[in-house]
Formats: sequence, C-alpha cells, structure tokens
Amino acid sequence: MSVASTENAISTGRITRAFIYLVLILFVTFYLLPFGIMVINSVKPLSEITGGNMMALPQVFTLDPWFNAWNSAQIGVDPTGLKPYFWNSLKMVFPAVAISTVLGALNGYVLTKWRFRGDTLLFGLMLFACFIPFQIVLIPMARVLGFLGISGSTPGLVLVHVVYGLSFTTLYFRNYYQVFPTELVRAAQIDGAGFFRIFWRIMLPSSGPIIVVSVIWQFTNIWNDFLFGASFADQDSQPMTVALNNLVSSSTGVKEYNVHFAGAILAALPTLLVYIVAGRYFVRGLMAGSVKG
Amino acid sequence: MSFLKINNVSKSYGSTRVLHNIDIDVQEGEFLVLVGPSGCGKSTLLNMIAGLEDITSGTIAIKGQAMNGVHPSKRNIAMVFQSYALYPNMTVGQNITFGLEMHGIPRPEREKAMAEVAEMLQIKPLLSRKPGQLSGGQRQRVAMGRALVRDPDVFLFDEPLSNLDAKLRVDMRTEIKKLHHKLGTTIVYVTHDQIEAMTLSTRIAVMNAGYVQQLGTPKEIYDNPANLFVASFMGSPSMNLVAAKVVANADGIFAQLATGLRDKVNLKFSKPSEALKGFDQKEIVLGIRPEAITDPEGADRKASHIEQITNRVIVTEPAGSDTYVMSSLGGKDCNARMRADAQVIAGQDVPFAINMDKAIPFDPSSEMRIA
Repeated sequence: MSVASTENAISTGRITRAFIYLVLILFVTFYLLPFGIMVINSVKPLSEITGGNMMALPQVFTLDPWFNAWNSAQIGVDPTGLKPYFWNSLKMVFPAVAISTVLGALNGYVLTKWRFRGDTLLFGLMLFACFIPFQIVLIPMARVLGFLGISGSTPGLVLVHVVYGLSFTTLYFRNYYQVFPTELVRAAQIDGAGFFRIFWRIMLPSSGPIIVVSVIWQFTNIWNDFLFGASFADQDSQPMTVALNNLVSSSTGVKEYNVHFAGAILAALPTLLVYIVAGRYFVRGLMAGSVKG
Repeated sequence: MSFLKINNVSKSYGSTRVLHNIDIDVQEGEFLVLVGPSGCGKSTLLNMIAGLEDITSGTIAIKGQAMNGVHPSKRNIAMVFQSYALYPNMTVGQNITFGLEMHGIPRPEREKAMAEVAEMLQIKPLLSRKPGQLSGGQRQRVAMGRALVRDPDVFLFDEPLSNLDAKLRVDMRTEIKKLHHKLGTTIVYVTHDQIEAMTLSTRIAVMNAGYVQQLGTPKEIYDNPANLFVASFMGSPSMNLVAAKVVANADGIFAQLATGLRDKVNLKFSKPSEALKGFDQKEIVLGIRPEAITDPEGADRKASHIEQITNRVIVTEPAGSDTYVMSSLGGKDCNARMRADAQVIAGQDVPFAINMDKAIPFDPSSEMRIA
C-alpha cells in the first residue's frame, strides 16, 4: 500500500485501478438513473406505467408520448403541446443571452481598462446584485415592467433576464479582462483605435473562453428560469418551464405520465445540448479568468 | 529648436508627486535613454510623451507643438512595449498594418509599407502567423515593425529587451542601434539596465525618485557622475565609494584613507577643484571605478597621476577577461580590475595602482560631487 500511495496516478496498481473504476461506475449509474427512468417511461404506452413497474424496460416501444407532448397535449386552455412555448423560450433566451453577454463584456472592459473614480465601488455594487434572491425583485420589477409598458411580453422577460444576469456576466468579463494586458489597449490607442474599435477588434476576439462561460451560464439560467416566467409572462409569452408545469400539474383528466416525462426531457434538452457542445470550454474559461487574480 | 521638448513637467497621482519638474530637450535624431531603478518615474514620463498619461503641469512639445491633451494617435509617435503588446487575434501582417488601417490609409499603400518593413526586419516569412506562434525575438521584431511602419516623428521604447534571454538581448541591442544609425529617427528609450543605457544612447537621463539626477552623454555620466546615486547606479561592477579625509598641504590636496594594512595612505588628487580645498580636514566619499585601480603593469599610461599603494588582497574573482581583486580601502571592500593573468593570491600584500585622474570626491552630506 505504501508503494501505491507514494506513486502518482499513472502507475497505480491494477487493484487500485479496478476500485477507482468501480466507484466511478457506481456514481455514474446513480446520477444517470433518474434520467434513464425518464427516457424509458417516455417511450412506453401509459398502460405499462399505470399497470406495472416503472423500472421495467418498455414492452411496446412508442414515440407517441413525445409527439403528444410536443404538439397536442392540453396546456392551459388549448391542446397545443409544448411547441409554441418552446419557441417562446427561444425568443426570450437568445436576445437575453446575447444582450447580457455583450453588456457584461462592455462593463468588464470599462471596469478594467478605462478606470474611473469609484469604479471599484460600482463593481462591488454590481457584485452585490449576484446575491439578491429572485423573490425580492419581483414586485419592483413588476412596477418597472408596467411603467415601461412591456409587462406580460417577451421583451419584458428579456429585460428582466438581462438585468438579472448582468451582474454575473460583468463579474466574468471583469475578472477575465483584469489579467488581459493593458499594454494591448494602449498599443491600440496609439495605433488610433477608439473606445469601441478597441472593444470590437481587440478585446472581444480575444475573449472566446469567457464568452463561452457567459453564454452557457446565462443560457442555462434563463432557459431554466421558472419564477420570472410564471410572474411576468402572459399566455402568449410563457416560456417552456411554465408550460411544463401547466402540463404536469393540470388537474383535469388522466395523468399521462409518459407524456410528462417526454415533456420534461424536451424542456431539459437545449441546456443539455449546450453543455455537450461547449462544456469543455466552460471549465477552461472559468480557469482562464482566475489564474492570476 | 529642440525636436522633443519636455518643459518643467510634473506628474501627481492625487497628492503623491511622482515626477518633479522634468526638463529635457531632445534634438532630432537623438537616442535618449531614460534609466533608473523601478519606481523612479521613467515609464510614467514615457507614457506622458506618448499621451497615455495626463500631464499634471508643464508642457511636452514635439516639433514645436504642445502635445498636452493631444490624443496618442495624433502625436505621430510609435511605441514598442515591454510585453510587445501584439494583438493576439491578428496575424503578424494585420498587427503591423492595424495602425495604418485606423488612420484610413488605403489597402495598397498599407501592403506596400508592410512589405518594406518586413523586408527591413527580415520577418517576411512570418507575416501570416499569429503572435502566439512566434518566439520572443520574432515578437520583438514584429513589435518594432509595427512601430516602424508608421514612420513616426518619435519612437518610444518601454524596456523592449527585458523579456528576452541574455544572449538575444545583446543581439537585439545591436540591432536597435543599427536601426537607429540607418534611419536616424529620434528615439526615447526606457530601461533599468545601465549597460543598455550606456551602449545605445547618445544621451542619458539618469532618474531616481521622480527627479532627473543627471542628463548627459554616456561618457559624461560615467566619468563625471553628478552625485552618489548616479555614481553607484551607472557602471558594472559599480564604483567603489569609500570614506576618506581631505588633507591639504604645500604639496597639494590629498585623500587620506585606511587600507587593509596598519598604515593609512595619502592619495594626491591630480586635478583638485577649488571647492575641494574647503573640505580640508573634513570627511568625504571618494569614488573610484574598479578599472581605475589596477596592477601597476596594467595602469593607464596616459594618466597624469598614478598613486601606487600596497594593500592586502581579501579575495580574487577571475572573470576570464579580467580578474577582480577585492581589498579593504577606507573601511570598505574595494573592487579592483586587474589583467586576467595578473598574479594575485588572496591573503598576500600586493601593489595597486590607482589612476587619480578618475578619482571623484563627493560631499557625504549633500551626496553631490565636489566640483
């Protein structure tokens, strides 16, 4: 044992290695089990679920629950399925992510490269916003949306998410640009580039990793948000999460568990995709900002 | 009229004053080096010339035009940064032409200017690469190319060689000097390395604590340092600064100091100034460069007066080209530079020849040279 403990991971013994894999497989199973059960039950007819074992593999394979969840399930008043709400979510998420990321980058750029009196205090206040619980801003936000005349609409939701996400994106970009060499900005100034030209031509093209972090973070949070969607959206702008809730918790008729499972997976799919596509940049980007704090 | 005029310039951050009434005139084609330890304000001064920092008071003028408040891009200057500051997302070619593009120069002219510069600096094969794929020396060349392509009135260099390894640094130093000879442009160059300052410059401004300590040609600075700071900062190994007492009598003016042996020695000043007479029987600091203390055979034959003393060797440091010999003078370790094959052994008493033409007296209270 003393040999195994002093050597590094590359040359661990066969028994140690087997043990490590065993533990890893156990954990993977543990974490994947709920998702596995959702998938299994989403491709069964309802009778198999109500009549028997939820853990069993499907005897009859069917994709009907998926189609049902997508375009014909009863949500709210109309049997529209989740489809229109999926588009609502997209219409809300893309502008909100893009705007909050660009504004966060701009904030980070100003806070690190165009320092001004009181900038640290301002940054501190923005950071403070990261710790404000959603619930606290509900009523003031409702007032603001009403005042602006965009309550119950997608632009209103976009505004809410931009405002709420700005503190996080600012934090990311500020920390990333903190270690971005100021000499580059000075060189560009001497070369004759102005404030925005430096931002578009020098800063943003060098911010790949942190843009990925910001996009993933914002996309996940905004897509998964329920509270703001439930509070500030009307029937025509409700996002996917609210629709899923309405689907699952509708009090009339038979509970179609297979449809609910399919709907839940549909609602989770976009964030899952974003993670699979850009996940490895996520960790890299998080590290990049924090190397020299 | 001077080409670049720094007139009574001061800089403060809040109530902290970092530069005090700087006056420097730079003629066209001059190579001015600002040298000093870190924190002396030399980079701040350079940034003020570039327009990257505000001027608190005083004026900086280029070609007779005051530059206070003028945007960096409108001063017709170019700057080479310590980190090279190459734009990581652009190719070498784009890096070089970015400034021209920002100034609205059409593409064909940009390409032509880039080709000329690439030819001059031998970086043609690198033009399509990204800075990340270049070595330190190559990046340095590209950074210079970016400055050259603008054809500026004044080049500003901010410690451009300090990120290179020792050998490359010497090579690039020669390169920069060649370039200056060839182009004859005005250069202001910041460094903390006194050897760079000596080898490159036509004039040096030695700075410390926000003041210009001395402004002069490398030879003036080296041979006639204005004060103890300049004396100790310039030169490697540094000047010996030892305590001595002035003794004036009918034979002349002497510096009396202790040696490593029991007796004291009197060293006669070869060209004493009038002011030195006033220091009779007072303590001074005597500055002697290591190369002014030699073995008798290696002494400068052109020196007007050489004092020969016997002293005990503490330690020897053979450096290949020379042998440095340590002995005690005025109560301090004193470094002497002897020929490489001088026969000197630690612990022995050997003769030293001191070139009194190069001995400089300093006032210990004001730290200024007595002249």
